Amino acid sequence: MSATAVVHETRDVPQPRQHGKPGGFLRHTSIVTGLVSGIVLAVVTYAIGSHFFVPWGTQNADFTQVGLNALIAATYFAWVIGFMAGIGALAGPIRWALGHDLTHDDAEYMAGKGQGKWRYWKYTTDHKVVGIQYLVMSMVLLGFGGFLAMLIRTELGATWTEVFDPNFYNSIIGTHGIVMIIALIIVVTGPFGNFILPIMIGARDMAFPRLNALSFWLLFAAVPPLASNLLLGGIRDGWTVYQPLGTQAPIGMVGYQVTIIIFAFSTGVASVNLITTSVTMRARGMTWNRVPVFVIGVIASSIMGLVWFPMFQYSQILALSDKVINTSFYNPVHGGSVWLYENLFWLLGHPEVYVVIIPGTAALMELMVVFLRKPLFSYKVAVAGFAGVVAISSIVWVHHMYMTGWAPSSGYPFMLSTELISIPFGFLVLVMLGTLWRGKPWTRLPMMCVYAVIWDKVVGGITGVYLSDVPVDQYMHGSMFVVAHFHYMLMGAGLFAAIGATAYWFPKMTGRMLNERVASTGFWTAFFGFQLTFMSMFVAGLQGMPRRVLQFDNAFNISNWLSTIGAYIIGIGMLIFLYAIITSWRHGTIASSNPWGGKTLEWQTETPVPLENFPVLPVVTGDPYDYGVPDPYGPIPVEDTREPAVTR
Amino acid sequence: MTAPSVQGTEPLYPTTGEPVSVNAGRNRLGIWLCIVSDATGTLALLVAYSYLWSLNVNDAWAPPKNAWASPLPFWLIVLGTLIATLLMWWGLRSISTGRRGGLILAAGLSALIVVLTLIGQIVQLSTFPFGPSDGAYASATFWLCLAAAFHLFTLFFLTTAIVGRTRAGRIAPDNHSHVRLVAMYMTWATIAIFLGALFATTMTVSPNDNSPTFGTFSE
Repeated sequence: MSATAVVHETRDVPQPRQHGKPGGFLRHTSIVTGLVSGIVLAVVTYAIGSHFFVPWGTQNADFTQVGLNALIAATYFAWVIGFMAGIGALAGPIRWALGHDLTHDDAEYMAGKGQGKWRYWKYTTDHKVVGIQYLVMSMVLLGFGGFLAMLIRTELGATWTEVFDPNFYNSIIGTHGIVMIIALIIVVTGPFGNFILPIMIGARDMAFPRLNALSFWLLFAAVPPLASNLLLGGIRDGWTVYQPLGTQAPIGMVGYQVTIIIFAFSTGVASVNLITTSVTMRARGMTWNRVPVFVIGVIASSIMGLVWFPMFQYSQILALSDKVINTSFYNPVHGGSVWLYENLFWLLGHPEVYVVIIPGTAALMELMVVFLRKPLFSYKVAVAGFAGVVAISSIVWVHHMYMTGWAPSSGYPFMLSTELISIPFGFLVLVMLGTLWRGKPWTRLPMMCVYAVIWDKVVGGITGVYLSDVPVDQYMHGSMFVVAHFHYMLMGAGLFAAIGATAYWFPKMTGRMLNERVASTGFWTAFFGFQLTFMSMFVAGLQGMPRRVLQFDNAFNISNWLSTIGAYIIGIGMLIFLYAIITSWRHGTIASSNPWGGKTLEWQTETPVPLENFPVLPVVTGDPYDYGVPDPYGPIPVEDTREPAVTR
Repeated sequence: MTAPSVQGTEPLYPTTGEPVSVNAGRNRLGIWLCIVSDATGTLALLVAYSYLWSLNVNDAWAPPKNAWASPLPFWLIVLGTLIATLLMWWGLRSISTGRRGGLILAAGLSALIVVLTLIGQIVQLSTFPFGPSDGAYASATFWLCLAAAFHLFTLFFLTTAIVGRTRAGRIAPDNHSHVRLVAMYMTWATIAIFLGALFATTMTVSPNDNSPTFGTFSE
């Protein structure tokens, strides 16, 4: 992808009146003010609310503690509102309403100019800062979720004793599930969609910089309610929290529901921003057939998030409503239906799998052409694959409900649609295989992740086809086979793709090279542990071991021991990889602007990336993947017909 | 950031130096996407309402003593929102033809009507002949009205902001894209509130008189 400069006629832009110093109110806000105001408002709400929410701590006929649930929900929302106000999120809308528009100096201050590392702790709008914030947040969430996974495997591996109280064990399962889902949804789109995508399309920032900061800090505010559930009775019903279990659950469930409501809002805001940026801010000359495939993947993922997350959000709004004001959406006693919940939940719940996988797959396609030095095999098929997945993902949700008793006759149409989605998804695998075909790979860590993910996708995809069949699902549903399958898709294809993307874009994001020897050791250790864990889990599932149990027959012992050993190996591998990230970030070799020789625009600007990304906006004159293709605008190569000089 | 600079005579956006039409196009797409997301949320509520209405689980759809909500307040709220939206479009037309005063008047009236409608919505919520826990109809109707209240609250903020921005000189005949964005969102909000009213007033008695029974969970 060639880049040339656009030169503007220089003329000052009229500025609105500067109200005070640049940045205004935001000069006084940071995470500290956010935490203080969030905690204060939460405590005040709790103190006042405890006098008003009645009946305090009592249960109604449906086993719910209505008053206490309402109090906890109000406290959580007060925390979120207080935190967002304290960090300065409301300053933008208020200034807009008053007509106090940002000046250029205001915008520069908000983008973090001259604030050093402190800008990472403020309501900073620069997409690169937000990208780094997302990267760290996703690592923290993955670490927390991974720690819970170790606890789960410890319980299941210790077949001779009971390590945890069964209720606490169930809480660990539910919390692990939802924490990992959130982490995997953001792990590629968050860091790389924010940091890399705008540079990749030749933009100076995201379309809506303040919304960018809003999406991250909303996510940040949503985490404490989720984490605190373990202290308040936990999420004992798996990450899906089927009804009426959710309504009957302890108050920890309120944390789950508040988190999903806020997280869905954060995701919606981020999706609007990513789509608008990709559609309207591409560099001159970057026509749709020249858009890097990663951008297409992020758009596809964002469309699914934008359209389906509100369904998920409302499933939890209504569930929370059942808990705190005793409505009857999911309570059959008063005319509600648990199947309503399941339908609303899975309308996002299944597309969410693709929200996780698609950006990671696109990132791998992006990097493999660089390490193979050949064009992407059929760009148009890849785009068709993404489009097909987006379209069909909306008509497959019922395969999660085959065995719930809801509309049994719908099983076969949804079996067909689920099997249908393997076609566009297969396109994506074929594009990767086609690109590999006869390639001469430069085998660095990002490329190793490509091989790993292809393997995981094949295993996860094929077992998924089994599970989409109603007769097979009748036998397999609710078993460890299902658990192994979705871990192959979400962790095997999602997380390992994220590792590849991290290794690839690490030099651009941090200005330093990743220590590949250590990182590769960690990666392969985790990959080996992953295969051991989940292949053994397939076996346990085929033997008939149900999921979400902590006591089981001795026939499943060997599979569980192997799975637990594998899980510990994953943990060790991830710690090694984390060590490589931290040490390389602090002391790694300084990276050049384009260490891989990539052709997309993010590699054409300097490292560290300047505040506005490019000194002058680039103009795109070529294809992003034209490795080995002669430059059509370059000089015509002339064959040298002269006789070679003869030397004696 | 470098000092923004660009060529041409069109007003420029102060923070990026781009022509305001470029920024307006970007904002327009953003609003469309917000509307899509909001529409999906509204769809979830309408699905919930119609699903429970059609099932009539445990024969518990209807409120106690068949005390359905009166339809008139629903349609008054729709009417209020519609008038406020039409006023905003009229304001847009005024500013497009150079009449700043016309926009201030239209947006001011629009804000006033929105706030009156919001008060009406709150009164309706507090005077229903049933509580939110009185069966599925009551729950679903409450939430349709809460969603309308949320939309009206948002409209109140947006309409008053248009008044404030116009008075502050930030909206001018050659730079009035924010009025169009607000009018677009108001149009969608009117549609959402209309759909809620349509469902709540026309889909009252459940067509399912052979309702599934799930017991009382009390044993």
